[in-house]
Amino acid sequence: MNGPGATDLEIPRGRLIRSRVGVASALDAAFSRELTGYARIEPDSLLADGEPGVVTFAEGVPRAAYCERGTGDGERRGDSHEPERPIGGDSRGVDALAALAGPGPCSVELYELPADALAEVHDAPEFSVPPGAPAEELADDPALAERTRDRAPADAHDGEASALESFLEDEERIAAIQEEARAEAEQRAAEWGLDDQLE
Amino acid sequence: MVEALAVASGKGGVGKTTSTLALGMALAADHDVTVVDADTGMANLCFHTGLADADTTLQDLLLADSDAAVEDAVYDRFGLSLVPCGTSLAAFREADPTRLRAVVAELAADTDVLLLDSAAALGSQSAVLPLVLADRTVVVLQPTIPSLSDGLKVQEYARSYGTETAGVLFNRVQDDEAIDRVAEQAEQYFGGPTLATIPESDAARAARRAGEPLLAYAPDSAAAAAYRRAADRLDLQDRDEDAVADRFRSAVIPEPP
Repeated sequence: MNGPGATDLEIPRGRLIRSRVGVASALDAAFSRELTGYARIEPDSLLADGEPGVVTFAEGVPRAAYCERGTGDGERRGDSHEPERPIGGDSRGVDALAALAGPGPCSVELYELPADALAEVHDAPEFSVPPGAPAEELADDPALAERTRDRAPADAHDGEASALESFLEDEERIAAIQEEARAEAEQRAAEWGLDDQLE
Repeated sequence: MVEALAVASGKGGVGKTTSTLALGMALAADHDVTVVDADTGMANLCFHTGLADADTTLQDLLLADSDAAVEDAVYDRFGLSLVPCGTSLAAFREADPTRLRAVVAELAADTDVLLLDSAAALGSQSAVLPLVLADRTVVVLQPTIPSLSDGLKVQEYARSYGTETAGVLFNRVQDDEAIDRVAEQAEQYFGGPTLATIPESDAARAARRAGEPLLAYAPDSAAAAAYRRAADRLDLQDRDEDAVADRFRSAVIPEPP
């Protein structure tokens, strides 16, 4: 792990076991079949710039995350010891979840791998994610998050910073969500005959 | 004095109705409060207040051929004036959502604070109407990215109709340590302050099952105390009630196509 770049995350391709649209159903499938491997997530939303990411699993429980999209301003408050990452760089751990979360559908493929192929990634704290976070933040499925936390080993990720904090630090991304919502609101107001109520 | 507040979330499951009633009961200590179930497509205030069998509801008032008077749909319970909405799908389809503005205008003339429990979705005219009619919004959030994203979206919809955010409630909070940082970060994006962070509570679920608002069922719970703090922080604005009622009446909302 010597600096940013997709090449840091060396995961063999593995065996494709499921390809489907929707993070929620993919995470649920990974959990049900106790998948050891990873999900390749490709957001279809323009907001995420279409940059793909991965969430890795051990026996169906999410362990690590990586996204080729950076989280905007390239630094995290409260992590001053961490080197500043360049704008447009990659993101890791909860930052990667933040980069992958948000409105819009995703295409997800599930791949199976032998556990030892993921050992290096799962031992690297910078990629680590809380077990329930992908279900909560990517799939908006608190029940699955709870089931996942129940199955997670006691030594699962216990980092302080959350994906939500990382998301809230990305001012550019939030501005994009606001702009898109404003445009949608104005377009729909016209469709509903409410445009004369707009300010 | 009257201020109409839309309580909105952008997504379901965040405890919006629980929050509306809790905020209403807390505000009722100092004000006359009327709570309207303006979530006409997914009405559930009646189940939180033991009014599932109410004879006349908002749904009756929204029917074009209705001869029900607004006062027939107002029920005094728990120190509040409650206007539940029925759950009949047939009546929902026949309802004319634009009649809501006349109902709200009449209610506004006779209360201090009007809380509109609004739809969780933004996909229809009837869902957006409470945001159009209200003076300001209270946005109910859970501390997750999907909820914050949807909350930001609701805020933009409301703002596009000139309805600013009065404050934000973080509900169903499990991680006490992280929430203060999250709330502080979120404040820069929302037009109003974080009114309170409400801990995840078994009492809220039990209250719902019992058909009572949280503040009646478990007034001493930590969640109830947090809602009372939220009500204290909510900086209600004095508005001339006649002007407010006139504004509702004059809101030019055409018939649905």
